Amino acid sequence: MSLTRNLKVGFVALCLAGFVVSLAVVSNVEEVSSFPESISEPFEFEQWVNDAEDWLKKNFRWFTRLIAGGIEEALYFVEDFLADSPWLFILMLLVLPALAYGGLPLAILALVGGMFWGAVGMWEASMQTLALMGMSVILSVIFGVMLGILCSQSDRFEAILRPVLDTMQTMPAFVYLLPAVFFFGIGGPPAIMATMIYALPPVVRLTNLGIRQISHETIEAASSFGATRVQMLFKVQIPMSLPSIMLGINQTIMMALGLVVLATFIGAEGLGAEVWKAISKLKVGWSLEGGLCIVFMAILFDRLSLAMGRPKDRIPVNSIPFHLLPQSWDARPWAVAVERVIGMFWNAVASLFGLLVNGLARAAGKVAGVFGRYRGRQVHAFIANRLFLFGSLLFLVAMLLYEWLGPGIGAYPESMRIGIRKPIDEAVMWLTVNPAFTAFTKGMRSVIYLYMLHPLDTYLTHLPWYVVVIVLGIVSWVSVGRNFGMACIALLIFIGAVDLWAEAMLTLSSVLVSVMICFLFGLPLGIAAATSRRFDMLLRPVLDAMQTMPSFVYLIPVLMFFGGNIVSAVIATVVYAMPPVIRLTTLGISQIPVTYTEVSSSFGGTTLQTLRKVRLPMALPSIMLGLNQAVMMALAMQVVTPLIGGGGLGREVFNALNTSNTGYGLAAGTGIVLLAIILDRLSQAWTQTQRKALGG
Amino acid sequence: MDLNTLFKSFLGSIFAVMFLGSAVTANAGGQLTSPIPDWTGGAVTCKVAQLILENELDYEVKTVSMPAGANVWEALAAGDMDYACEGWPSYNSSKEIMMKEYGGDGSVVKLGNVGVIGNSTYYVPRYFIDEVAPDLKSYAQLNQYKEHFATLETGGKGRLIACPTPAWECDDQKRLDLLGVDFVAVELGTEAASWAEAQGAYARKEPFLLYAWEPHWIHAALDLVPIELPAHDLEKWPATGWAEDVTWNYGNPDFAKENPDAAALLGNMNLTNSEQAKMILAVDEDGRDIDEVVAEWLAANEDIWRLWLQQ
Repeated sequence: MSLTRNLKVGFVALCLAGFVVSLAVVSNVEEVSSFPESISEPFEFEQWVNDAEDWLKKNFRWFTRLIAGGIEEALYFVEDFLADSPWLFILMLLVLPALAYGGLPLAILALVGGMFWGAVGMWEASMQTLALMGMSVILSVIFGVMLGILCSQSDRFEAILRPVLDTMQTMPAFVYLLPAVFFFGIGGPPAIMATMIYALPPVVRLTNLGIRQISHETIEAASSFGATRVQMLFKVQIPMSLPSIMLGINQTIMMALGLVVLATFIGAEGLGAEVWKAISKLKVGWSLEGGLCIVFMAILFDRLSLAMGRPKDRIPVNSIPFHLLPQSWDARPWAVAVERVIGMFWNAVASLFGLLVNGLARAAGKVAGVFGRYRGRQVHAFIANRLFLFGSLLFLVAMLLYEWLGPGIGAYPESMRIGIRKPIDEAVMWLTVNPAFTAFTKGMRSVIYLYMLHPLDTYLTHLPWYVVVIVLGIVSWVSVGRNFGMACIALLIFIGAVDLWAEAMLTLSSVLVSVMICFLFGLPLGIAAATSRRFDMLLRPVLDAMQTMPSFVYLIPVLMFFGGNIVSAVIATVVYAMPPVIRLTTLGISQIPVTYTEVSSSFGGTTLQTLRKVRLPMALPSIMLGLNQAVMMALAMQVVTPLIGGGGLGREVFNALNTSNTGYGLAAGTGIVLLAIILDRLSQAWTQTQRKALGG
Repeated sequence: MDLNTLFKSFLGSIFAVMFLGSAVTANAGGQLTSPIPDWTGGAVTCKVAQLILENELDYEVKTVSMPAGANVWEALAAGDMDYACEGWPSYNSSKEIMMKEYGGDGSVVKLGNVGVIGNSTYYVPRYFIDEVAPDLKSYAQLNQYKEHFATLETGGKGRLIACPTPAWECDDQKRLDLLGVDFVAVELGTEAASWAEAQGAYARKEPFLLYAWEPHWIHAALDLVPIELPAHDLEKWPATGWAEDVTWNYGNPDFAKENPDAAALLGNMNLTNSEQAKMILAVDEDGRDIDEVVAEWLAANEDIWRLWLQQ
């Protein structure tokens, strides 16, 4: 034990000494390190890709266009249905399932979110986005579940597919947006295909995981009853992994919404187009309205799909499952009063619909009774037992009848419009000229640039390339394993061979600095949220918004406050990548059993000591997972930051988009993917080590 | 079959029927597709063309919101879009790949000039001239004031908010170096980013040097003064200013062949800067609806646009 400990200390000291020496050496080198041309010259990756693209364009376009045609028809159908139906009808289509699965709070969220779309005048755009997202998710689920099942049946297939999925998730969408136009046209179909590339992996992974996690005993029991492999799959394995699959669908929805704004680059209409229109005219308030529409949509579908995936009992017919307020508030008299009023209202509605549904059940039972008394009773029971479902259906049908036969509901009424554009625009302008805020932004900018970004970037770009390769290779070897160490070296040499060494180092330093700042702010916030419930509740919606708000929306204010430079890029990255750090810190700390902290305080540990010696070390695995997530999100953001002056690989991807050079874009995009794979595996390995050290 | 399954398959079959039904409906004919440019000037030009196409030539024009750039060219070449308006030669590097006039393969054709002529150069805000540098007229005086434009990242040099992307082939840094202007050209990636930074700096009354062009809505929002550059000279490029951008409408070759009247209109257009500027102002300054503004202009200027319709 003590020997390994000494070894560890020695190793760390050696690393530090090496770092200091190299820093001293590098700071005296004027030249930026460059990759030898003897390797990069004959390696014409860009040309190869472009040739391959030309070949595909000539030979496969008819096929992709056929697919696109099918998708387009289906998409237009859904879009027309959503946009032409009366707005209240669509709203109820969202609110009723929310009520059924998530209770009153979720229903209110659905109601408020839906009303917000109309209130800011983006109902139609929201419907277009909804249709686009819906189609992408449906297709992703169909193909994702199939691939997931295949993965679960064959280890070899899984091993082949895993790197493909990694690449799909981390390859910047800008790389394949332009080819998508050629192969799939403009508007919905290419947007759906691009979304599928990005959003498919979680369904595959979680379906596979769900099926593989089913216990051995269950499988054996089923096979001892003589189930064939197919029977086993469809009657046992898939039904049992439904919660896991639902979680995958949840992730897919979130990722599909993340691509909404990028989809406007290939002509997809909807909220993304609204946001982009606003941004190209610098209308911050307008773009924020569009962004909030997306946030509401994301949060609603996130909660709804999670609620649907949760194993639940059948919805009780006559009891009141609808708690609006947290149950811990039950002691407060006013909360009880509020709940009672809601309960009474619900009872009234329930008994009214109970009558209607019973009537329907009886009528249907009579009709079915023609085929025999047993059938009739069965149908009656089927309908009568599903009060909520059939009540909702009756309600929706009534609405449609009112629309067709009565005066009609129509589009969202103009009189119910509210706009938040003006105050937001004014607030941003006020902040822009506010001297105190300006001083703050200037100070922050110089600290980040002078003391973090500039030194690290100079260090990484001036360090000879082979040193970086060898050091990262050794680190990977030690932390993950020999094979990964070798792979890591090969991947880094690829980046050099496609002539993107300096850009990759700039990307690496931006990511590292961003993640560092994420921890600087995220860790204290996470600890605060773990200690105070109230703060946690306040923080939660903010984090949701930070994660789902399209980053384009805050690019403009960040530019106005900080100016266009790499610091702005870092700040935008921090905004995007911080939520997982906060969340997982909070989670890690609040998961620690109370006994541990009590033991510590009973030994006379102060709060701070308990935090430092017990809580943080215990929460370390969770915090390390946060690190992993933050790194991945920061990398994903590197593709967006070129829009506000960020550099590195992301900028090269973006430039390739502007000059329709798929080969170059793919080279730079692959660079990002490779960095992602290396950083992901390394941070995962460290998380594992921490977990093992805790004996978990 | 138990009832649960029966019910589910009932719902499923309803959806299937609805899907099939929708797949049978065919597209209507006589339809053109065009992108809505994401800058007001282009949007005005496109709207003028669109309304004439619809009202006089009986086309139905479907518009798609799509940021300008290589994506639009890809869509034109693929035939997903028929025409696009007001292409600026300086900012469409795809022309060299796709347009014959510039040595491309002809997968996109130039339909004809729009009439709008663009001027690109560097600008400083008016208040800087008034308060600090009354004698700042051309690039030659920029070095005197470089410390005003310096930032953290540029060291002692001044900072230019340059052409946002290398795809536009502005060669700003080369120009500055060749002209001996001690400034660093910073590319921000997108046009919107340039304007956002300029607007923030403008609000704080900070000095900035900005690459921009006219006609553009930014001049309605910010009072900018152009800095003189040496006259354009292809021999000395990039040590000179920009050539005038003679903008053109461009389109898919098959579209031009199959719809000669539409192609002729788009080629014969002659919308002058001053006429376009009136409409830009009405849209950006007064916040009016672009359809309304353009319809008004068409009603008042029939003598101008009738000429474009003659083949």
